[in-house]
Amino acid sequence: MNTLEGEIKSIHTNGSLSLIKIKVKELLFSALVVETPDTASYLKKGNSIKIIFKETEVIIGKGKEHPLSIPNKIVGHISMIEKGEILSKIIVNTLVGELIAIITSEVMNEMVLEVNEEVTIMIKTSEIMLSK
Amino acid sequence: MIQIALQKNLIAANGDMLLDIDIKIKEGEFVTLYGDSGAGKTSILKMIAGLMPADNGLIKVRDKIWLDTKNNICLKTQQRRIGYVFQEYALFPNMTVKENLLFALEKGQDKQIITELIELIELGELKDRKPEMLSGGQKQRVALARALVRKPEILMLDEPLSALDHAMRSKLQDYILKVHKQLNLTTLLISHEMGEVLKMCDKVLVIEKGRITRYGNPIDVFTSKQVSGKFQFLGEIVEIEKEDIIYIVTVLIGANFVKIVADTSDIKTMKVGDKIVVASKAFNPLLQKIN
Amino acid sequence: MDWQPLLLTFKLALVTTLLLLIIAIPLAYWLAYTKSRFKPILETLVSMPLVLPPTVLGFYLLVTFSPSSVLGGWLNNYFGIQFIFSFHGLVLASIIYSLPFMVHPIQAGFANINTTMIEASYVLGKSKITTLFKILIPNIKPSLLTGVVLAFAHTIGEFGVVLMIGGNIPGKTKVASIAIYDEVEALNYDTANSYSLILFAITFSILLVVYIVNGGYLKRFWK
Repeated sequence: MNTLEGEIKSIHTNGSLSLIKIKVKELLFSALVVETPDTASYLKKGNSIKIIFKETEVIIGKGKEHPLSIPNKIVGHISMIEKGEILSKIIVNTLVGELIAIITSEVMNEMVLEVNEEVTIMIKTSEIMLSK
Repeated sequence: MIQIALQKNLIAANGDMLLDIDIKIKEGEFVTLYGDSGAGKTSILKMIAGLMPADNGLIKVRDKIWLDTKNNICLKTQQRRIGYVFQEYALFPNMTVKENLLFALEKGQDKQIITELIELIELGELKDRKPEMLSGGQKQRVALARALVRKPEILMLDEPLSALDHAMRSKLQDYILKVHKQLNLTTLLISHEMGEVLKMCDKVLVIEKGRITRYGNPIDVFTSKQVSGKFQFLGEIVEIEKEDIIYIVTVLIGANFVKIVADTSDIKTMKVGDKIVVASKAFNPLLQKIN
Repeated sequence: MDWQPLLLTFKLALVTTLLLLIIAIPLAYWLAYTKSRFKPILETLVSMPLVLPPTVLGFYLLVTFSPSSVLGGWLNNYFGIQFIFSFHGLVLASIIYSLPFMVHPIQAGFANINTTMIEASYVLGKSKITTLFKILIPNIKPSLLTGVVLAFAHTIGEFGVVLMIGGNIPGKTKVASIAIYDEVEALNYDTANSYSLILFAITFSILLVVYIVNGGYLKRFWK
């Protein structure tokens, strides 16, 4: 579980869906939740909040530029790689702290990822959970 | 509205304990008293039933006072309109199922209710049997039916299902819910099983060392922090297995097992037997119609 | 052989047992459930006849109820009841003498009943009296049977108390145990043997029935 703490910058609600922008250090994360400020009291501009996402939901890209439909992108350097048979764990040092990604070993070998390499971590808005 | 305020100095195995509670229960609510054994749950029910005296207290059911120690009012157990289901059934062995129910009739009460109750909890075929010829689940159904004959204002269940196996328990829970809804009862249940609490009740009172530490709807009470995962369940860890670089955690949710992938950092604080929240985003689960 | 002492013995045992049953149920109920400080005292009094020589009991009864005593005289003057050398006296003495044999099993029976069963009855709105008759008594039948039989058999076998308070009046207070003593004194060993054999057979049968019934043997073999 990757957990980061940030501050709610904006809330855009439509029906029962809300798109929340959270500022963690200098980075802005966006999270899509099936809650509104009416149903969840912690959804309030200025509130500090935790954002949570699972390691297996993390996407990793080499380098910096990735024109994809994923708003949450964090650039960092790989600090550790733990290779497994099917899955591998990659710990990335970023501006907002250490983040963990679990990807298939196959794809990691194809990408030839190495410690200290610059990578971009990406998480879809719908994969981020918020917590008080 | 039922108002219950009770104080009593209990002598427990590990020293004295002051039981001190003050609660209000809406009519028709299903409330669970949740807590470890020795927390004072049974004492609370017994005081409400008048089977145990309170040092200080006030019990008001609708506008009737059952207990008011300040004004020296204390209705006898017999005068309090309650249904009580004991953990150990407490059926009368000298009477058949039907006679057990008939015994509960009040003077002049219509016998029709016995037939209705026997039907409601499906005891028709067993009605002429003696309790010793019944299984645990059947006994507890009889005890439940018997408790309902008087049309109680409060139905109290003291861990009624703890002696039953899992399948029987689930079935009995359904019976209890059924009678609770159909007869529009106000029900107090003692349970120390989270799954049971979640399934059954509207409100839960968490009791620790004679005091209410948390009160509210079960999911709020049991999940200390609010998470925006719409797909959320309480469960108990049954197994933690390391596979490759990750962990597979098997969790019992209700009567189902689910397997969840976790990272080393998650596992650090968890062990088998821990109660946990399993949460996922509402975006992830797939729905598929079954024919 | 004279049958009268035997008949008298059984009449005495029957009357004593019936009266004891009526006295012992409330007494045992109180002893089983009371939290009173006086419970040990009453328990001791009930148990005294178990250890006291019957002659001691008989002696005090004699002193208490003799027409020359206050109580005995009063009873005689106002009610015309005389406990000394009469059947009434024998019954009274037997009740006291056999009290523990009736009270103890019943008390144990009450104490063994699961208290939640009693609570269940109260919760159903039933009074203590209803609970006693509908729930408690039907569920302590084995204890009641034991009490009845022990009291009955014990009354048949009493000697010292009867001799002290009843004397040896044929047809009135001369029970079988005394008749046996009489016959032995008169060297009529055959008659004494007949009486003894009858008493032996009867008490044996009674106790056997109790053990068969309470041991559940009947249920096991008569299915």
